Amino acid sequence: MKNLLLCWGGDWDLPSVHTDSLIVLAYAKFSGAKLAVKSIDWTWRTITASVPQLHYEASTVTEPTQILNFLRKQRFNADYELTAKQGADTMAYIALLEEKLRPALLHTFWVDADNYANLTRPWFTSHSPFPLNFFVPGRQASLALSRILLTKAESPLLNITEVEGKIYSEAKECLNLLSHRLGNFHFFFGDTPTSLDAFVFGHIAPLIKAPLPSGQLQKHLNQLDNLCQFCNTILKNYFNASAEKRTDCSPTAIHDPVDANLQKLTQLVNKESNLIEKMDDNLRSSPQHRPNSTPPS
Amino acid sequence: MSLAAEAFVSQIAAAEPWPEKATLYQPLKEDQILLSDSASSLAVQTFLRMCGLPVQVSCCANAEYMSPSGKVPFIHVGNQVVSELGPIVQFIKAKGHSLSDGLDDVQRAEMKAYMELVNNMLLTAELYIQWCDDYTATEISRPRYSSPYSWPLNHILAYQKQWEVRRKMNAIGWSGKNLEQVYEDVSQCCQALSQRLGTQPYFFNKQPTELDALVFGHLFTILTTQLTNDELAEKVKSYTNLLSFCHRIEQTYFKEHDRESQSGSSRHSKGSLP
Repeated sequence: MKNLLLCWGGDWDLPSVHTDSLIVLAYAKFSGAKLAVKSIDWTWRTITASVPQLHYEASTVTEPTQILNFLRKQRFNADYELTAKQGADTMAYIALLEEKLRPALLHTFWVDADNYANLTRPWFTSHSPFPLNFFVPGRQASLALSRILLTKAESPLLNITEVEGKIYSEAKECLNLLSHRLGNFHFFFGDTPTSLDAFVFGHIAPLIKAPLPSGQLQKHLNQLDNLCQFCNTILKNYFNASAEKRTDCSPTAIHDPVDANLQKLTQLVNKESNLIEKMDDNLRSSPQHRPNSTPPS
Repeated sequence: MSLAAEAFVSQIAAAEPWPEKATLYQPLKEDQILLSDSASSLAVQTFLRMCGLPVQVSCCANAEYMSPSGKVPFIHVGNQVVSELGPIVQFIKAKGHSLSDGLDDVQRAEMKAYMELVNNMLLTAELYIQWCDDYTATEISRPRYSSPYSWPLNHILAYQKQWEVRRKMNAIGWSGKNLEQVYEDVSQCCQALSQRLGTQPYFFNKQPTELDALVFGHLFTILTTQLTNDELAEKVKSYTNLLSFCHRIEQTYFKEHDRESQSGSSRHSKGSLP
């Protein structure tokens, strides 16, 4: 049974940096669908394919909503236990995300000059093959800008700066609403994740994890602890396999959890010894101590 | 446009009282207004009635150009002009009238989410059917939209509006859909609304909120407007609790008013619910 999912590659602790791809990846993990994931980085598909794209046996499906519907039909259903009302709530919250949060996300990553020049464009340029690296980021940026202007700008104000205030305040309100709805629960509908969790995760994970130079929305999101916790829980429980395979960040990126504990212990011991050294330092440089003994280096 | 309107002031404690002359502007009801604009306008009128605030409806051919945001309807209250349901709700809340004060945070989040669902799905579907479906655009939308103007302005304005709407559909990814998929989306949206409503009288049990006004505005207009075929209305009719919801609101808030002002004689609208 051939099944293949094409999506953008990952970075910043995430399996993918692209919102729509993250939604599909998360849903696949939640519903237990085994998909072979292939990233389109450094291929010509960066400009030809509409990502994410699922190739399942003979058919091809694009768009997160369509892919999720397709997976449900193949009996990979994470929404199995939802009531009818919860299913309706899912649709409503997804609409809220698309209307209120997506424009601000597009703006943060693609239109804000600081972020675009320092983070988004270099990333996409470095992940596209020559000569596409000249076109791919620019094309995405202009698509993002036109989407924001066409949906949010009222006709006398076709200027992006006047729309900015409005979309950011709507996005902050949307994040607050999501935080209220999530409350103290692990997931939006109880203890098991559903498609709504996949959508929310896909939208907020890049915002939490990306090292944005200018991120007012990111700051706002970091104040909403339960959403950050939600995101980290999903990453830890469902995506930790991909996090362990990465060997770049810390020198102790190891598979065995026992070794991870050992690493934590080592860090604690190091901290303690640093403290002890400092105390020693203070003692030696204190007036009571004899001044002729040399302090330890 | 002169404001020769009469309305009586409602005595409720507010920052500023609701003025005597408050007017709601929309395009011409008989000849010009289209499905999506009519739905938005009805939603605002319903909301104002639910708040108990009287307003005079004034139909002008250039309502769209008078509006501060380019969208209809808009209300002229005192010396302020506010358009679209969202800002109008906030404006009225500032004056001290609100339908959603009794909701807690989670319910308010749900209400906003459902309002976005209606805007995202129903309104977009209405726009799609009116302007992206060639047959409807040619037969109904373009002639109606440009009816107050003479040649060649009517052609120019109609095509300009159509181009604008198609650009927007393209930007949000709806241009790849065909009519069947749009009807399917409308059906799913109605199913979600129907499941949320259940057997309750209003979406948040006993009291109507702006969500009820919005849903009523859209559903009532869909049910009572004649398009090239009846498929859209049929999709809505298959949910009986939504039908009875519309009946109930029509009876409660529109019955005592002058029935003739409810477009009983309009060619475009079929009048009251079947």
